[in-house]
Amino acid sequence: MSGTVVTERAVSGNGVAGNGASGNGVAEKPAISVRNLDFFYGDHKALRGISMEFSTRKVTGMIGPSGCGKSTLLRVLNRMYDLYPGQRATGEVIFDGRNIIAPGMDVNRLRARVGMVFQKPTPFPMSIYDNIAFGVKLHETPSRSEMDGRVEDVLRRVALWGEVKDRLKASATALSGGQQQRLCIARTIATRPEVVLLDEPTSALDPVSTARIEELLDELKKEFTIAIVTHNMQQAARCADQVAFFYLGELVEMDSTDRIFTAPRETRTQDYITGRFG
Amino acid sequence: MTEATHTVKSYEQELERLRGMMARMGGLVERQTAQAVKAVVDGDEEAAIEAPDLDPEVDELEREAEALAIRILALRSPMAIDLREIVAALKITGDLERIGDYAASIARRALKLDMDGGISLIGLRSMGRLVQDNLRRAIDALATRDRDLAVAVWQSDTAVDELYTAMFRELMTYMMEDPRNIGSCIHLLFVAKNLERIGDHTTNIAERIYYAVTGEMLPAVRPRGGLGPQQTPPAIPDAR
Repeated sequence: MSGTVVTERAVSGNGVAGNGASGNGVAEKPAISVRNLDFFYGDHKALRGISMEFSTRKVTGMIGPSGCGKSTLLRVLNRMYDLYPGQRATGEVIFDGRNIIAPGMDVNRLRARVGMVFQKPTPFPMSIYDNIAFGVKLHETPSRSEMDGRVEDVLRRVALWGEVKDRLKASATALSGGQQQRLCIARTIATRPEVVLLDEPTSALDPVSTARIEELLDELKKEFTIAIVTHNMQQAARCADQVAFFYLGELVEMDSTDRIFTAPRETRTQDYITGRFG
Repeated sequence: MTEATHTVKSYEQELERLRGMMARMGGLVERQTAQAVKAVVDGDEEAAIEAPDLDPEVDELEREAEALAIRILALRSPMAIDLREIVAALKITGDLERIGDYAASIARRALKLDMDGGISLIGLRSMGRLVQDNLRRAIDALATRDRDLAVAVWQSDTAVDELYTAMFRELMTYMMEDPRNIGSCIHLLFVAKNLERIGDHTTNIAERIYYAVTGEMLPAVRPRGGLGPQQTPPAIPDAR
């Protein structure tokens, strides 16, 4: 730990400790900036004044007990909540210079640029090949050979190509859970997003499949900005560059992963990550 | 320090056991050091025998504490303050074990001392007192997780270093005055050196406590006395 950490004790205006340092010194423009975000499920306020930044091509881990708002925030980032009546967000979520929660945003285009992978693998009931082609065709009209190349490329990137290259026409639902999840990640990155959101992507997987996904994140972050919600503290420690701790709809603390897991500033963070909560 | 206890009670109990082992080690090593100093400066033979006799127990505790710390690391995946406390425990028990060794070595040397040459033990007596005092405060800081006390201990090793340098010069003078003093003076020089080493390990303990409690490292350069020009003491990081 460098001595400079001590002097960087800046506490931002909304009372959130930490500086969200991404660690490598060079400050790149954040991929997503959240400003004073409130979120409501009907009358219930699920997020309270969230302000944070998702650093470009870094993995941001989001941790906190169930109901703390971390998945809600993830769902705001690609406006997944639009699908449900009575849910609304106020504040600003700036992505590529625009407030994505403002009216007039092309939500389909947004979801291609901010992709999402869910807790349970959600392959479409179609072939492995078509699972990937399907998403691409929504936004582009590549030639047959371009599409073949795209499918191979993304399957290689998620380390699935070797396992499925001889059965691309077979149904995706016949794959193992870990393979299905890697396929879902492949499907997400096939539309060439800038941001990939993962909501507990390994909670239904065995340790070997989990390790494969975590290894994959290391590769993917060279190209994509990644936000991952996880209940597994070790997973956040292993994968994330920066970690945000949420509690009761508030962002309690956000800082470098090192800092959060060795010397968090807030007692609530410490109590949670050391298993002293409630 | 966090007041809340772990949801998993057996985890809490394991940490308590580790703290208990450190406290027992601290008590034993304090006793060894006191007896070693007494053996030299008062010529107390019983004390000279007791100090090394306590060594096996200290060594055994160190091994037990290490095994427990490794077990907790492997099975509990400790984080934040727990992680810092366990890593500090691993290092502190190592420092305590070394202090015990130095004390035993001082005590054994006391049995070989022939103090007929009119060599003054005043310097060694003050050095012994200071080293014991620092060690006691370090062990108190460990038990009470007292950040400020740890810093105070860390800073006061300067005086031990200065006393050591003074002792070194004094013993040199005795040896130059009369070569018959050389045997005793060499023994006393080793005693002083061992006390100085105990002081250094005490400083290490203070550093580990500070890290465990605050999550911050004390500056790499600590205030040093004795050798070379006096440096300005580095700034202590602010409390959180």
